[in-house]
Amino acid sequence: MRPMAERETNPNFMNGVPELLILRLLAEQEMYGYEIVQALRERTSDVVAVGEGVVYPVLHGLEQEGALKSRRKTVQGRSRIYYSLTAAGKGRLAKMTATWTSLAGAIGKMLGGSYAEAVC
Amino acid sequence: MQKQFAELRERLLRAGVAPRHVRRYLSELADHLADLRAEEERAGRGRALAEAAALARLGEVEALAEAMIARPDLRAWSARAPWAVFGIGSVACVAVAYAAACTILWTGWRIFLPARETPFVAIDGWATAYFGLGKLLYFCGPVMVGWGMGLMAARQRIRLIWPPAGMAVTALIACMVQVHLRRPDAGSGWGHVSLGLTMGSTRGEILEQLIYAAALFIASLLPYAIWRLGRERGARRAA
Repeated sequence: MRPMAERETNPNFMNGVPELLILRLLAEQEMYGYEIVQALRERTSDVVAVGEGVVYPVLHGLEQEGALKSRRKTVQGRSRIYYSLTAAGKGRLAKMTATWTSLAGAIGKMLGGSYAEAVC
Repeated sequence: MQKQFAELRERLLRAGVAPRHVRRYLSELADHLADLRAEEERAGRGRALAEAAALARLGEVEALAEAMIARPDLRAWSARAPWAVFGIGSVACVAVAYAAACTILWTGWRIFLPARETPFVAIDGWATAYFGLGKLLYFCGPVMVGWGMGLMAARQRIRLIWPPAGMAVTALIACMVQVHLRRPDAGSGWGHVSLGLTMGSTRGEILEQLIYAAALFIASLLPYAIWRLGRERGARRAA
């Protein structure tokens, strides 16, 4: 059984990351909020942990900007709001992925030399 | 959790988050909480412990509210630009009501009273209902717009100053509006209906218009004022 205390989230260095990961998840299939949070935890091995409840403002914001669309769907007797990617969302995901990849590459390069030696 | 959700709803509405986003957020949080509770129960916790763990994972009201409030794109227009919604918006709504009333008067004149020099004559049958609709819009339009503003302000917990300001503007316009008729032209045979804003020329006329404006303002404000008083009394009792 997991400890009951609130799990740690990582707000620093996270600007734009939840959006990117949510868009990436929804590019594969439509999902509802709880599924998204669980998938984020599993796929990032709990490294990226967004607050359970605060994922919804991100989803609402992305929908407002036209990157996502939502629909109500009843599954196993429960009505839920499912989110999926729009064409604009796909474009945004591509742009964000490119930005993130180049940023991560640059940071990796920077840390790769002296930092790696210092840690080892 | 009902209490926390009620607190969250109030915080979001007061911060200007659009009611549709608030409603959906709360509904999604309630679903999410149910899923978390079920997950905790599956993990072997008892009902009470599962509930507490689920609540802790969902987040504090403060954090849940801040996440939503931090997004300006989720705010209602009435919170972003109340002067536009309660000022320009109310004037636009009254203008639409008057335009519809004039259209009804003009078309009714042509349909039911084509040979008359004025539509203000004794009428019966369908004409009564048709012209009645126009009169309803003309006389009750400003009050209905005021009620609409009050309803919007109540739903969105708008600051007290804006709805009465909008209602006052609406009432002032309504007290100055006058319908002008021109007899049918000899050529086309069509009469003309137009609207204008006129202030009385004598002190008596001005006073009469202001009394009419005050009556409209009070009629518009009354439901909203009763709602606010009831709410404040409830809050005092709860405190």
